[in-house]
Order: sequence, then structure tokens, then C-alpha cells
Amino acid sequence: MMQEPLLTLIRFDLILESISGVIALMISHQANTAYRLTEQKRLSDLSTGFLVLSASMFGRVIGSLYFFVIAAGGSIPDADMMQNVVSMAYGFLKIMAFVLFAVSTRRGGGGQMPSEAAFMALPFLIDPNLELIAILVLLIVVMQALMNYAAIRTRFALYVLAGFLFLLLSLIFGIFATMNISAYGVSQAFQFLGLMSFLVMLLKSGREQ
Amino acid sequence: MTKKRAYRSKVRILADMMRAIQIEGEEGAGPTKILYSANLSHDRLIQYIEELVEKELIEDIGTESSTKVYVLTEKGREFLREFAKVERFSEAFGIDV
Repeated sequence: MMQEPLLTLIRFDLILESISGVIALMISHQANTAYRLTEQKRLSDLSTGFLVLSASMFGRVIGSLYFFVIAAGGSIPDADMMQNVVSMAYGFLKIMAFVLFAVSTRRGGGGQMPSEAAFMALPFLIDPNLELIAILVLLIVVMQALMNYAAIRTRFALYVLAGFLFLLLSLIFGIFATMNISAYGVSQAFQFLGLMSFLVMLLKSGREQ
Repeated sequence: MTKKRAYRSKVRILADMMRAIQIEGEEGAGPTKILYSANLSHDRLIQYIEELVEKELIEDIGTESSTKVYVLTEKGREFLREFAKVERFSEAFGIDV
């Protein structure tokens, strides 16, 4: 049987993940609204990025719940494989989302960028350490957000920088999660903080006159 | 050294024109005022004003047919509020609109 504190942590984690998924969906919706008004392609990429991030979060929640329902029923056919599939899909989708963030928030409009299809294929082409790839891609996104904040110095840009920075910290702590369960908790807390920063930015930018 | 002029999207130009009209309040703004404020050529100005009137974002309140004075409609004010939100959101991510 699974230990009670661990179960509590997982339940709490799934709640945070679900809330984060909803926030990511809200950002995606706002980016899509902005795209429809301005026809700026990068807003469409940003919207897709948050949509994919949201899908990865909900996918993980549903996958975990499914796993626990089966576990509660007493029959777990090839549980390790199931866990691996959910983890891999989660990792792939997250990297796709981060790559889309990197593409959409890049500074300047010029220059040749690899096609999105190539970007989407990246996680499948590069093997095997998904966390490390995600960290590298997100590091680029954080640096771009930092440059943007340095250039325009608005609090909205600061919230975005904080959001991506928290996501990066979440990934870094995630590396130690297999060795230390508290690192897992910290990782999930940072992810939640990151999405909350985006939510604050979304609400404040919508209210200010 | 001259600063490189950033590319302005069509929606940005329309918003700049509407802001120029909004600044003048209820008195409205004439084509010349809009032209200078939005930094446009005359041909473009006429084309975009027609489009804004057609979309009911601005209206002509000039009393004589030769005098054109434009004010924002309620739909126009709502558009500008929405555009300002989109502008803040996009800029936060480093995306120019």
C-alpha cells in the first residue's frame, strides 16, 4: 500500500497541476484573442504553446488519476510501462510548449527560423534526457523574457519573466525529484507559482486603463 | 544617427488614428490632425478613414459636406479598450503588434 503522506502529496500535486492547466488555457485563450485582433503570427504560436502546456498538465492529471483508479481496483497491468508512457508524453508536450514559447517570444522579426514542424519534432529526434532539453529550451525563453523586460521595463513584462523563471526553477528542482521527495514538492510549487505569475499579468493587463 | 522605424501593422495604424481622434474628445478631429498624429500619407489616410467609418468605429459629425470632423463611436471606444489590453499582453511577452 502507498504511504498516506505520499498520497496526500500526490493529491495536492494533482490539484495544483489542474489549476495550472486551467491558467495555461486562459493565457492561450487571451493570446488567441490577441491574434484574431492583430493577425500577429507570433501570438498564434504563443497561444499554441500555452495550449500544449495545458494539454500536458491535464494529460498528466488524467493519466495519474487513471493509474490510481486501476491501483485501487487491485489490478495494474504493466504499471511501470503505463507510468513511463504518461511521463514521456508529459515531457514531450512540455518541450513542445517551451519551444513554441522560444519561437514566439524571440526578439526581432527577421532572421531565418527553422520551421515549426522541425521544432515540434525536436523532442522525438533528440534522446533521451527530456528534462535537460526542456531546461535548455526554457533557459532561452527566460533570457528572451529578461531582454524584453530590460527593454520595456513594464510590470507586465516582469510578471512574464517571473513566470518563465519559476517554470525553469521547477524543471531544475524536478531533476532531484527522484532522489528527494521534497524536491518534487518544491518543483511543483515553483510550477504553480510560474502559472500564477502569468495569471496576475493576465488579470492586471486586462484591468488597467 | 537615425532610429530605424519599426514596422506598423494595419491594426496598429488604425488604433493610432483612433487615438488621435479620441484625444480631441467630443469636438472631434479633422483629417489633417489625424494625418499628422498617425503619421500617414494622404492616400492611406483616406483609405483607412473610409474603412473606420464603414466598420462604424468612427463617425463624421461635420455640419457641412466639405468639412470632415470625426469622433469615436461607442464601438470605436470599445475597440480601443480591447486593443490596449492586447497591446499590454503582447508587449509583456515581447511581441510587437
